[in-house]
Amino acid sequence: MKQLRFIIITMLCLLSLGAQAQQITSVHGTVSDDMGPLMGATVCEIDATGRIIESAVTDLNGNFTMKVKNPKDKIRFSYVGLKTQTLAINKTSFNIMMASATMLKEVTVKSKKRMQGNALPIPEREISFATQTISMKEFEGLGMTTVDEALQGRIAGLDIVTGGDLGAGSTMRLRGTSSISGLTDGNPLIVVDGNTWNVDTENFDFNAANNEKFAELLNVNPEDIASITVLKDAAATAIYGSQGGSGVIEITTKRGARGKPRLTYTLKLTGRYQPKGYDLLNGDDYTMLLKESYFNPEQSDAASNIKELNYDPTFSEYEQYNNNTDWYDAVTQWGLMQNHYITVSGGGEKATFRISGGYDHETNSVIGQKLQRFSTRVNLDYNVSQRIRVSTNFNMTYTKKKMNSDNLLALALKKMPNMSIYEQYPVGSALQGEDTDAYYTMLQSGSEVFKDDQRVYINPVASANLAQNKSDAYNMSPELVINYHLLGMDEDHWQLNWRGAVYMNIFNEYVDRFYPAALKTVNWNEGINTSYSGSSKSVSFTTKHTLTLIPHFVNKDHSAMAMGRLELNTGSSTGQSADGKGLPSGGIVSPDAGGIITGLGSSYNQWRSLYMTFSAHYAYKSRYVLDFTLRADGTTKFGPGNRWGYFPSVSLRWNIIDEPWMKWSHKWLSMFSIRPSWARVGKDPSRDFLYTVTYSPTSSYLDMSGLMKPDGLRLSNMKWQTTTGYNLGIDLGFFDDRLRLTLEGYHSTVTDLLLQNFRVPSSSGFTTLGVMNNGKMRNVGWEFHIETNRMIKAGKFSMDMNVNFGNNRNEILELDENQLKSYNTTVNYENRQVLTRIQLNNPFGAIYGYRSQGVYNCSYDFLETQWESNQLVKNNYTTYKQFVDAFLTGNLPQEFYDVRGWTKRPMTAPVARNADGGVIVDDEGKPKKMMFAYVNAGSGQTGRNYEFKGGDAIYEDVNHDGNINALDIVYLGSSLPKLTGGFGFSFTYGDWRLSTQFTYRLGNKIVNLARLDTEAMSTNNNQAQAVNYRWRKEGDETSIPRALYGNGQYNTLISDRFVEKGDFLRMSYIQLSYALKKKQLTWIGLNRLSFYVSANKPFVLTKYSGVDPEVNYGGYGPATDSGQTPPSRSYTLGMTVEF
Amino acid sequence: MKQNHIYNKVKGLVGLMLLAPLSALLFSGCDDFFDVEPQDKITLEKFWNEKSDVDNVLMGCYSAMQSYGMISRMMIWGEFRSDNVNKGVGTHNDVSLERVLEENIDPSNAYTAWNEFYGVINRCNTVMLYAPQVAAKDPAYSPSELSATIAEATAIRSLCYFYLIRTFCNVPYITTAYIDDTQERDLPVSSFDDVLDSLIVSLERVKGDALTRYPSGTSEKAIYNTARITRDAIHAMLCEMYLWKKDYDNCVKYADLVIDAKKERYKEEHAGYNMDTDNRLNGYPLALDWAGRSSYFFGSAYSNIFGSGNAEESIFELTFSSNSGMLRNGPVNTFYGFGAGNDLQGFVAPSSFLGTDVEDKTYAVFNNEYDSRYYENIRSVGNSVYSIAKYVFTSRLVSVSTPTKPQVASVGSTYSKDNNQSNWIIYRLSDIMLLKAEALVEKMDNANEAEVNTRLRQQAFALVNAVNKRSVCQTTLTDTLVYRDYNTKAKLQTLVMQERQRELMFEGKRWYDLVRRSLRDGNADYLVSCISQKGLENVSLVSNRMKSMKTWPGQLFLPYNLDETKVSENLAKSQNPAYPSGEDSSIKTSAN
Repeated sequence: MKQLRFIIITMLCLLSLGAQAQQITSVHGTVSDDMGPLMGATVCEIDATGRIIESAVTDLNGNFTMKVKNPKDKIRFSYVGLKTQTLAINKTSFNIMMASATMLKEVTVKSKKRMQGNALPIPEREISFATQTISMKEFEGLGMTTVDEALQGRIAGLDIVTGGDLGAGSTMRLRGTSSISGLTDGNPLIVVDGNTWNVDTENFDFNAANNEKFAELLNVNPEDIASITVLKDAAATAIYGSQGGSGVIEITTKRGARGKPRLTYTLKLTGRYQPKGYDLLNGDDYTMLLKESYFNPEQSDAASNIKELNYDPTFSEYEQYNNNTDWYDAVTQWGLMQNHYITVSGGGEKATFRISGGYDHETNSVIGQKLQRFSTRVNLDYNVSQRIRVSTNFNMTYTKKKMNSDNLLALALKKMPNMSIYEQYPVGSALQGEDTDAYYTMLQSGSEVFKDDQRVYINPVASANLAQNKSDAYNMSPELVINYHLLGMDEDHWQLNWRGAVYMNIFNEYVDRFYPAALKTVNWNEGINTSYSGSSKSVSFTTKHTLTLIPHFVNKDHSAMAMGRLELNTGSSTGQSADGKGLPSGGIVSPDAGGIITGLGSSYNQWRSLYMTFSAHYAYKSRYVLDFTLRADGTTKFGPGNRWGYFPSVSLRWNIIDEPWMKWSHKWLSMFSIRPSWARVGKDPSRDFLYTVTYSPTSSYLDMSGLMKPDGLRLSNMKWQTTTGYNLGIDLGFFDDRLRLTLEGYHSTVTDLLLQNFRVPSSSGFTTLGVMNNGKMRNVGWEFHIETNRMIKAGKFSMDMNVNFGNNRNEILELDENQLKSYNTTVNYENRQVLTRIQLNNPFGAIYGYRSQGVYNCSYDFLETQWESNQLVKNNYTTYKQFVDAFLTGNLPQEFYDVRGWTKRPMTAPVARNADGGVIVDDEGKPKKMMFAYVNAGSGQTGRNYEFKGGDAIYEDVNHDGNINALDIVYLGSSLPKLTGGFGFSFTYGDWRLSTQFTYRLGNKIVNLARLDTEAMSTNNNQAQAVNYRWRKEGDETSIPRALYGNGQYNTLISDRFVEKGDFLRMSYIQLSYALKKKQLTWIGLNRLSFYVSANKPFVLTKYSGVDPEVNYGGYGPATDSGQTPPSRSYTLGMTVEF
Repeated sequence: MKQNHIYNKVKGLVGLMLLAPLSALLFSGCDDFFDVEPQDKITLEKFWNEKSDVDNVLMGCYSAMQSYGMISRMMIWGEFRSDNVNKGVGTHNDVSLERVLEENIDPSNAYTAWNEFYGVINRCNTVMLYAPQVAAKDPAYSPSELSATIAEATAIRSLCYFYLIRTFCNVPYITTAYIDDTQERDLPVSSFDDVLDSLIVSLERVKGDALTRYPSGTSEKAIYNTARITRDAIHAMLCEMYLWKKDYDNCVKYADLVIDAKKERYKEEHAGYNMDTDNRLNGYPLALDWAGRSSYFFGSAYSNIFGSGNAEESIFELTFSSNSGMLRNGPVNTFYGFGAGNDLQGFVAPSSFLGTDVEDKTYAVFNNEYDSRYYENIRSVGNSVYSIAKYVFTSRLVSVSTPTKPQVASVGSTYSKDNNQSNWIIYRLSDIMLLKAEALVEKMDNANEAEVNTRLRQQAFALVNAVNKRSVCQTTLTDTLVYRDYNTKAKLQTLVMQERQRELMFEGKRWYDLVRRSLRDGNADYLVSCISQKGLENVSLVSNRMKSMKTWPGQLFLPYNLDETKVSENLAKSQNPAYPSGEDSSIKTSAN
């Protein structure tokens, strides 16, 4: 083949030689300057596109000889420091005298900052949609490990909740929720260098398993990032069509720059720790509490005689239950992270490169979590000629993670503190009370009362050390790009540029889990030594072709550009897994190693899509700007008739500042523009084949296998979910853009909401439809952000700041009545029930519950006894009611209080009172008891008919009927913040720089279930120290009810006792950095050496009593904090060296 | 030269990159590009082409009926509200079950959900829609095979509906297949009688098409005769349906068809051989419980019917096996077998009066201590605690060698936890015999002449007596039923009820028997007197509600599930008024 080609080419050469025998085939000559002949001057033959065809270098005497390919080409002479000369090849001999280039005329270079990314290269001041860009320059040297950390608090309208586990990632919501089902992703689309990540979305629960995957997307090393742009309104995301429905985050990575190779090494050392949560009881307090809570329901000593709580040395396990173990302390530690990063970049006229490699080693602040990551990125650009540039990018990440098999923090909060971590030598042993090296787990012979909780709680320390849960993930994405200038090369000519790209995405993951027998004290057949191993791989292939036309107008007032793009995407994924149990103990951890295989699974999925985009930009005098985009999306998610969705957008910008009548303001005003936009975008469901009936395998019957069942109904009505959005933005720039201010208001309506698993009457054979287009939702909000560029500058000192805030209001406008009903909960009168209530035309996240009014001081029986047998009472009062009224208002004779050692004060007891506070009595004159969920016998309704006792929580009887029931439930607040945002300052003094960033949230409330659980005193779980202030005896004045094991109490109904304000102000980071002066470095051959120290999330100012007020919100239900792992606090020490 | 090469290559690459996607489009056409076929399922467009497609969906109905959701409901609906069953160990793990056992049911109870039944009904309807189309395409699918398919599908569908009307009274009766989301889904309910009549009509129509016997082959093929619908099974269903319809002549007619077929079969298999030497079975082809004339052990019938399964006297049972692709009998495992932990005790247990019935000689259910079914069905765990043994143990050996009292000689083997493979029996011969006896007793009213009455009485008694005698664990029969003790219709009625209770205990029949009786009596007195024995906490309240004429007979039937009434106006409108709505609690909506 090669030979054949050679022959053909030679023949062609010969033919051309034959045709033009007279032509010049070689040139020679000398090159010299005013000081004599030049050695090493470059002579080359260049073609019309500037491509070098042949080249030669002058010798000692300045002579050269060079073959010439084509006499139509030109010859170029160049030498460093001298003016380059380009001549036509019209002779065979050249004697060149070169002139010095150091004598230059004054040159003005004018360039416009242009939008990068996937859209048209529009000058920044002509951008007509809502975006916000942060240049990574701002973060250079900051101790960020992930992009989301860098973005937190920086983008108006982008709410980020960071996860606490290693690699757990964050949840991001841009401008509120765009969907209320788990069927579509609520996180913004991540675009890296114009490429989207194409993951398998089938069988993927976006709300649950999503965050880790999402973290993978953000797995770009912050050191590699050049800039991040967040596209907010629908007009901006329009070029991404259905992919960008929840907003877009565009990340641009750094590329090589001309110059000699530079080697940069960055080191970060980070230590982090887990913030302390509630102070929990120690062993002694815990046992006392538990004894009380068992005694109280039955008032019996027998019930509270539990051997694990008795501190009885004759009990064989005595030593294991006489401790004060701080489980929380035992499972947390200082986590250490080291991040090493090396970059080499450089290049010449022909090619530039940037190669980087990083290695991360991290241990978390929770024990047993470890992460190792190796990442590399290669960006190469090769200029084939002035017209053609070939770029190749390759990026690979390998992540090895060791995770916990149990939620250690949750276990640590519940585990009984009088139990020991390690088994201890028993009574009588020489080493009595000393730890052995075996972990202790409650024996199966432990007391029956612990059967469902303490006995099944795994020893978290043992779990961290013995169980195995690890994953290995490889993520590769190679890309090849060609840029071709088909017409003109500069702004003075018509330009038509073609960009072709091929991009692949490969993701492989292996997960291995093993759960050893040692962690559970159960029978062998309950599934001990369980193991799982699974792998999945996903490959996607994208080709993208973009043609950009930039016409040249003679009249410079007009400028326009247009772009057409075709993007084609195919992908497939496969996965398989095996579960096993009953493996032989000791080292064997793979399910296929002789145990019982309990499950085998495999999956295969395939998807294709086709996107076409047309985008046009027109500006008149750079003052009136019009943008138009039309995107057509075709996907396999819909059936033949519905495959294509068309999404148009229009946006305008009027740079008022450029109007002649604004001239007066130019001294201080550098930008004033308004930007209205309108767009319609769509979203497809994440599941395939909903448009037809699929038949899938089902269980066998006898020897008949391969049996099939229909999976659901064919959804002929399914269509795109569409969002119509309006945005109005105002840009202001002051003092030559030293202060820039942007204001955005938006209004977007989502129609034909894709509701997942829509409930239908099951007499149709199916309980749900896979997807149903139903309902209408609206997001309204506004945003504001300020950025400065050397706002204050005085000598060596300069200061900058950024401020942003935003607000979003999300409400359902229309929804199927039945669907609405099934979203709303029915009151079941059980503790801890969080009520969800969505009403049309009201915001989401309303919190409903009872109003708490403390704890009953005395029981009804106490009043009864006093009335019947207390002589003092009998002497002073004629009716029972009078006595009780006096008791409640605190007007009994002083003697009554003195006897009991009480202060004279109004007291509470569970009696019904009318609106005026008077006691309600029955026909016998006895006060009516306060009841909970009372229903008449035989009314056919389910009630509780519970009589409140002393020490029970008091709930306000809103309607004064002596019965606390659903009618006493009131609105307690909203989960939605009135304002969210952040601000930051940075100060520079010479080589010193101090930067800070804060985030805040205002005006929201949170249902603190974590606190509820640690104050409930109805289980055997460890409780917060607050319960030491519990009600214990008649007359106690406290806010914490009595301890009572089991369900015979209603002390933890959702009430305002557990609804707390979620306002907070958090310092995201503070960092001090110092760069050594260059002159101090040159003697050791360094270019740059800088150091920094930073503290991430060092503190948060809040009245919220939970571990962390940063609780997810935005779903349709109330925001609840059930004790998620809070983000850890960390301190980083960093160093960057450049050679 | 070299650079030229690169240039050419780049050009080539450019061309390739341009062409590759375009040619993909050009050659395949735009629509073909989107034609992705799933790899792990089949789309409608590619399905329904050959007989095996039809068979695969139809047979899938059997495995669907074996699901936890369906068998658990057959147990709970048919048995757990009755006097036989009460709370066991770990019941609190299943709140809905606990509420059923407490007779504290409202529409939010999970066991009022019927979706699995309608799922199977829809699959049957789908089979009936597509099978004729397949037959037109597939020459290997003969017309007789097609009609057998239709008969089998009709029978499975009817069985599901029969469960539904006995549980919910009026239900939506749907005979068209749901394929598309454009079809109307909220349909009005049909009355109990209308549905029952429709079921009878459709079964009468297809009964002749059903196979009487499946072709024999491997040992697994051999059990098709009891594991799948046969003509006998359809006759059995018709027999019971006519009994509910109070058409006693037809009930007897179909019972006889079943009994005769079984006799025929017995004769074929055991030609000229009579095991029943002391005439315990009155000539009926039942299995003997006595292990053999020379032995002192009983329990043969038990291990035959419940241990090995697919016994000769069986008519239709959902058959489990050790095949790995098959489901396990989960409900029996959790409800009867392993409720919590590894001890053999389920979420439910025999009610205490039933457990101690023989122990303290009350004999409220069992006649005397010689009823081997007591030992076979109930297991003493000690300290007057009893658990259900039926379906849990594969054999129960009752020894009668001791002079005082029979006792369980060996506990017998059981399935291990989560691996229960005992068949769930829908119809077996003794059931049909007792249904016939019930019909005969009811016919006595219409027979004016004493002679006719006597004949009916004798016939009924002979049936009951045969079932009873085989389980009397005496080597020499002495303590059996005495004919003259049952000289009135009322006494016979009670005898039949009680014999059914003893014979079919824990098989998902008792509550339906009580409901049928109540509907016939026009009051729930008998039912109330039975269930008040089981020691409900709120027994008077429950009794009053059951008896209450205001809502009667609503309380005997379950309410529609809340999730269903939320999405169906027709169901909400027709909701059983005897129950609280389950949604009586509303919260204030305004912010104040």
